Amino acid sequence: MRATWLLAFGPMAAACASPPPARVPAQASPPLVAESEALADTAPKHDLRLVPPEVYLRTYLALFGGLAPLDVQAKARGADRAQIFDAWDDYVSALGLPDYRFDIPRQTRTQALMIATFERLGVALCDRAVEHDLEADAFGTPTPANERLIFAFDLPKEGELDAAGFAARFDVLHRTFLGYPSALAPPDRVRRFYRLYQEIVLNHAKADPRSRFSPPHAGWAAVCYGLVRHPEFHLY
Amino acid sequence: MQRVSLSSSPSPRSSLRRLVSAGRALIGIALFAAVLCVSAADAQPEAPPSSAGGARTLEEYRHFRIAAIDLLGRMPTRQEVAAFERPDFDWDEWVDRALGEPAYADRMTRIYMDLLRLEPNLNFASAPSDLLRHEVVGPDGKPVWVYYRENQRRMRPETDGEFCLDPDETGMGVRPRQQDVQSETRKPKPISQKLLDAYTVLVKPWWLYRDYLGANPQARFGSSGWGDPDPGYKPVESLLADDGKPVLAVRVCREEASSLAMGHVFARRMTRVRTKAAAPPGDNRDEPAGGRIRPLPVDKPYATKHQGDEVSCATKMALEYAPDCGCGPGLERCLPGDANNGGSAFTFPNHSLLGEGVSLDEAKQSQQRWFPYWWSREAVHFLEDLFAGDRDFREVLTGKQTFVNGPLAQFYGTIQRSNCCGPEVTFGMLEESEPLFEPSRVPQDLAPQDVSTWKSVGDRGPHAAGLLTMPIFLEKYASARARGAALYNDFLCKSFAPGAQPLAPSTEPNLMIRPGCRACHAELEPMAAYFARVEAASFVFLPSAQFPVRSTACKLDANGRLNGACNALYDAAFADSHSATLRSAYGSPEHADATPAGAAHDLVATPEFAQCAVQRVVASFLGRPTTPDDDPLLASLTQRFVRSGYRMKALVRALLQSDAYARTNDERAP
Repeated sequence: MRATWLLAFGPMAAACASPPPARVPAQASPPLVAESEALADTAPKHDLRLVPPEVYLRTYLALFGGLAPLDVQAKARGADRAQIFDAWDDYVSALGLPDYRFDIPRQTRTQALMIATFERLGVALCDRAVEHDLEADAFGTPTPANERLIFAFDLPKEGELDAAGFAARFDVLHRTFLGYPSALAPPDRVRRFYRLYQEIVLNHAKADPRSRFSPPHAGWAAVCYGLVRHPEFHLY
Repeated sequence: MQRVSLSSSPSPRSSLRRLVSAGRALIGIALFAAVLCVSAADAQPEAPPSSAGGARTLEEYRHFRIAAIDLLGRMPTRQEVAAFERPDFDWDEWVDRALGEPAYADRMTRIYMDLLRLEPNLNFASAPSDLLRHEVVGPDGKPVWVYYRENQRRMRPETDGEFCLDPDETGMGVRPRQQDVQSETRKPKPISQKLLDAYTVLVKPWWLYRDYLGANPQARFGSSGWGDPDPGYKPVESLLADDGKPVLAVRVCREEASSLAMGHVFARRMTRVRTKAAAPPGDNRDEPAGGRIRPLPVDKPYATKHQGDEVSCATKMALEYAPDCGCGPGLERCLPGDANNGGSAFTFPNHSLLGEGVSLDEAKQSQQRWFPYWWSREAVHFLEDLFAGDRDFREVLTGKQTFVNGPLAQFYGTIQRSNCCGPEVTFGMLEESEPLFEPSRVPQDLAPQDVSTWKSVGDRGPHAAGLLTMPIFLEKYASARARGAALYNDFLCKSFAPGAQPLAPSTEPNLMIRPGCRACHAELEPMAAYFARVEAASFVFLPSAQFPVRSTACKLDANGRLNGACNALYDAAFADSHSATLRSAYGSPEHADATPAGAAHDLVATPEFAQCAVQRVVASFLGRPTTPDDDPLLASLTQRFVRSGYRMKALVRALLQSDAYARTNDERAP
């Protein structure tokens, strides 16, 4: 009985006798003891870096013929209702631009959203460039060669473009987007792009419903997509 | 193909010369290849010869592209690549030319804008300069817009400190009570023409008329009288048109339309007026006339003591004390908004990422964002001038110069004066006596609508100190500590690292000695003290004559408190029964008296300033943070930078010639 009483009221009595401290004093933790030592590699790590978004935008504007951004926006949106371009404001944060107003820092690494944005802008650029450079106007007059912004070359008749002809024209695009001759690129780059071109032309001819681009124009647009989305275009 | 570095000793030029010699041997082959080239080459004369690539290595092309991106701010064009391939291409000449391009200045400015983030997410709300707009019902039952200022003093007790037409006259107050709206006891009603003419007046304001200062302004925005307005000046449509018709003049409360330069202190000699809400039910003895809801403004001690004294109408004080002060000629001391609160005024970009005139968007903006937007552009112009002109980089902190456009001329010449004075009046400062930007230094030939015209101001005044005294810096970093920390981090490359000391409970107000705080605050508080004379969240300068670091005019009362104006400007934690210390000055009274200009002078004299500037630029151009392995490079560049007189172009030129830069991005195969 006595034991039961003690069990029941003992803790309560003990609690009353020694109330918990009102404040737990801070205690300095003991210093960490080194268990082993390792060499730290502080050597700078060379790596490709992301083209600053301002550079990307300026380049994009230059490729569109040096127009003002809001004019490019209107042009890139086009009139085909495809809505492949919305508004610059929709893309600036996805491109990695900082927003000083909200202390959002500049992005230095790519992420999925950024890649998707590059792709979207690239497609808009290429489609509009095909329309401007390769398609004839309402009167059937083609854009003069010296006014072509991206596809600064003439196209042979449909079905007459061989590998050598493709390579020469591809070199113009390669210099435009990547800044060096395609001859210095990995050896299979021209071949792979030519295969891409051929496949697009072939498949496009079979497509139903037909695209508004002719098969060769669609082929060149695809080559342009490939270059404007190429890692070498976005990194430096 | 042998890899040849453009930066190998003695200079890239010599490397290129070797290449050029080798390349000349290939010219014959290149020409032959060019002839064989596809007809495309003929079709586009601007395209480079496609086979000329043999003269350059891939590394050289890449280096050229990297340098173009870094210096021109864009990838090289086909034409530039073609020029690079030519045998007579001169690398040094190209670099020098690129350093003269605006893109270089933009590139360098970006480094410091990324650090300081001097774009505003803030509003400049100044009651004396904010012109609001209220809709009343006109005599013909149609809406009439009337512009007014919040808290404008008026002689009529019915409207003193309120809208100039009382709720009994308009049917509904500016801020109707919820019960009035719900019960529909009050409804807007047509106002008589007689009342409208008695209390309001038509004005041709500055935002509509280029010649608003003339006797009869005619050059209206959008009319033939004002041909070719600045393309960046875009008032919102609601300010330009009313019901589809162009606004020829705006209706303004009569007091606000006053163009007087000096007004007079007014005191109603009433200490307190009861409102209906405060009175017992049925007791209407003290209810103010006209149906006003807020009580009449209470006379301040200064007003009762100085009734009738002159007061400058450009000051904050005027709004509070002088019913005969208004917005000045053509309302130039005020900025319009199209609503009662937070109205829109102008259309401008949310931010200008690619520089002015290259905006990616346009938006209708609140009137309170107009000046902060231009503050930000001022900082960008200041930095771009520093880099484009290759000025001594120490001027980023010490420079007295700046650039202003029309809105900034209006701001520094007129509007900023309305930001002062409130509690300062008690200390004898009725208007700012030593502003950071002296209004007399503002170019006189800039109109508020000249948004694209920027003019240089050689000297803003004796307290000017580079970016540190610009409103955008002082508002972005609102407290003295934030300002000190920005200096410490961004210009000395130092950061605050708390020690391992436990954070023991303490009431010690001096953070430089309080355990757990002192590790950081021993450095921070003296830095913050440099900014003690620039009010927090403001840019009002407190001169030492009226505001000594230790003032005997302020002392603790029996309850251990500082009262009134003293509490606003002096720190109760560093006060006693005899005197008090200016807020933020306790860390170093000497620094407080040195002001931000002293901070600039002291900082640029430290070796860390030059080292930090070099580190910032090198990290940006290498695209990675610097590491201890970069120390030799940094040391040599710092030496060169200092020897050149702190010129950034010398630093960038040396950096571009360094092996580290040439090696930066060539580690991966394509």
